[in-house]
Amino acid sequence: MLSKLALFDQKIAIVDHDDRSYTYDDLIKRALVYQKTLLANIPEGSSVAILSDYNFEAIALFSALYEKKAIITPITSTTPAEINERIAIAQCLYSIAYHGESFVVTTHTNDATPHPMLENLQKIGDAGLILFSSGSTGKPKAMVHNLSHLVAHYEMKKSKNLVMLLFLMFDHIGGLNTMLNILSMGATMVIPHNRNPEHICALIERYHVAVLPSSPTFLNLILMSGAHERYDLSSLRMITYGTETMPESLLNKLKIVFPKIKFLQTFGTSETGIATTSSKASDSTLMRIEDTSCEYKIVNHTLWLKSDTQILGYLNASMESFHEGWFDTGDLVEESEDGFLRIIGRAKEVINVGGQKVLPNEVESVILMMPEVQDCMVSAISNAITGQSVAVEVVLKDPKEATSIKKMIRTFCKSRLDGYKIPTHVNVVEQTHFSERFKKMRLG
Amino acid sequence: MEKITDIIIAALQEFNEELQEPSLEHPSLDTKLFGGNGVLDSLALVSFIADIEEKVSEHYGKNIVLADEKAMSQKVSPFRTVETLSAYIEKLLNV
Repeated sequence: MLSKLALFDQKIAIVDHDDRSYTYDDLIKRALVYQKTLLANIPEGSSVAILSDYNFEAIALFSALYEKKAIITPITSTTPAEINERIAIAQCLYSIAYHGESFVVTTHTNDATPHPMLENLQKIGDAGLILFSSGSTGKPKAMVHNLSHLVAHYEMKKSKNLVMLLFLMFDHIGGLNTMLNILSMGATMVIPHNRNPEHICALIERYHVAVLPSSPTFLNLILMSGAHERYDLSSLRMITYGTETMPESLLNKLKIVFPKIKFLQTFGTSETGIATTSSKASDSTLMRIEDTSCEYKIVNHTLWLKSDTQILGYLNASMESFHEGWFDTGDLVEESEDGFLRIIGRAKEVINVGGQKVLPNEVESVILMMPEVQDCMVSAISNAITGQSVAVEVVLKDPKEATSIKKMIRTFCKSRLDGYKIPTHVNVVEQTHFSERFKKMRLG
Repeated sequence: MEKITDIIIAALQEFNEELQEPSLEHPSLDTKLFGGNGVLDSLALVSFIADIEEKVSEHYGKNIVLADEKAMSQKVSPFRTVETLSAYIEKLLNV
């Protein structure tokens, strides 16, 4: 990794929100310092947690640990109980926490028998990576990647002069994918201080960011905030979106607001890594997986993947989503005649209204067309008559319309949706629930 | 009792702005809702019940659940007419 980075020498690798910039040479030098100091007494192949979000020091430390063939667990959580739980599950013997300007190393004892998966990584001398599922339901699953393998996947990338925003988190496959992409191309990453639309748009203007990786929820937040009107975003060439289903009507709105920007659907999972994709067109939610290291098939309308970069396994969960090497993503897809795919929702979020199936995304896409509505989230609500029915949470442009909004929504949907897809419950909220990864969290 | 009936009738008239069902223009105690000659289909009923639950909660400060197993297992369906629904809500509120 470091030898490859050395090729980029004086190119700018990292710009942070405090206007500090660092070259690739700075990054390598700092990684070497960490190898000799902070990591001097940590044996090769150790399981080490990095407690930090993205910053220059954390990326240098990540590189240094990679060279040491460590098994790295990035943790961005700031909740002590969550941090300790993850350190225990990942069997970390060291955690390195970033406090302001410097790192503090803590050693941990772990009485559990070393997990064979981790032992094997140490035996073959490869670096590892442990990521946790977001855990919206139940205990977060600890997924083990062969990091040497994953990094090798990026090595063929061509060098590019490109400024990209590092939007997703350090402990998220999408965020790591952006980081590894940037480093392998010798591109420049801009690290935000937070993920508010205002701040992100300000950074795009200030540093002439060309690529913004994001999610539909976040893109809608930009439109809602109007931040795009207050900053010059003309440097943006491409916006990528992933992590959740893109409502068709939102994509149309975005294309009107950003007519010159190319929109690209990305697709990946923590289990399989990120596949190379291309969208049929900027205003189309149809995409193709164009990745020689990732095969797909469709089983019962659900997308299954088999990739070279998939996880070795889970430390604390069974492999029930894997079937003979294929990973069931749980994403429902449609396939067009010309071989493009469209992600239409999560299999477990399908609403069953008296035996008829409703995809939340289809209903959301219709409701988002209403001029009165800023944002919405559809989920299932149970009743004893039809089993489930469609409920929607809406964010209104004008809260005064709250009393009549249910009727307005039902009337609007009537000519656009089958009766069983029309919401029976409408709840006005100030904000829909989304995770820190800007992914909608449906109720029920 | 009267007040609950008023709430139901008002909600039904409001709901009918969307439904445009002639027989619901002037609802009374005998107006049939669901089942028999009732004009609501099951999904309209679910939506209407949601309106009623909300209105009852606004008026009485009590959250009631109308579409549950208990309602479904009543000898006379509470969703038959305005009157049966009204009686059932009163029962729930007095518990």
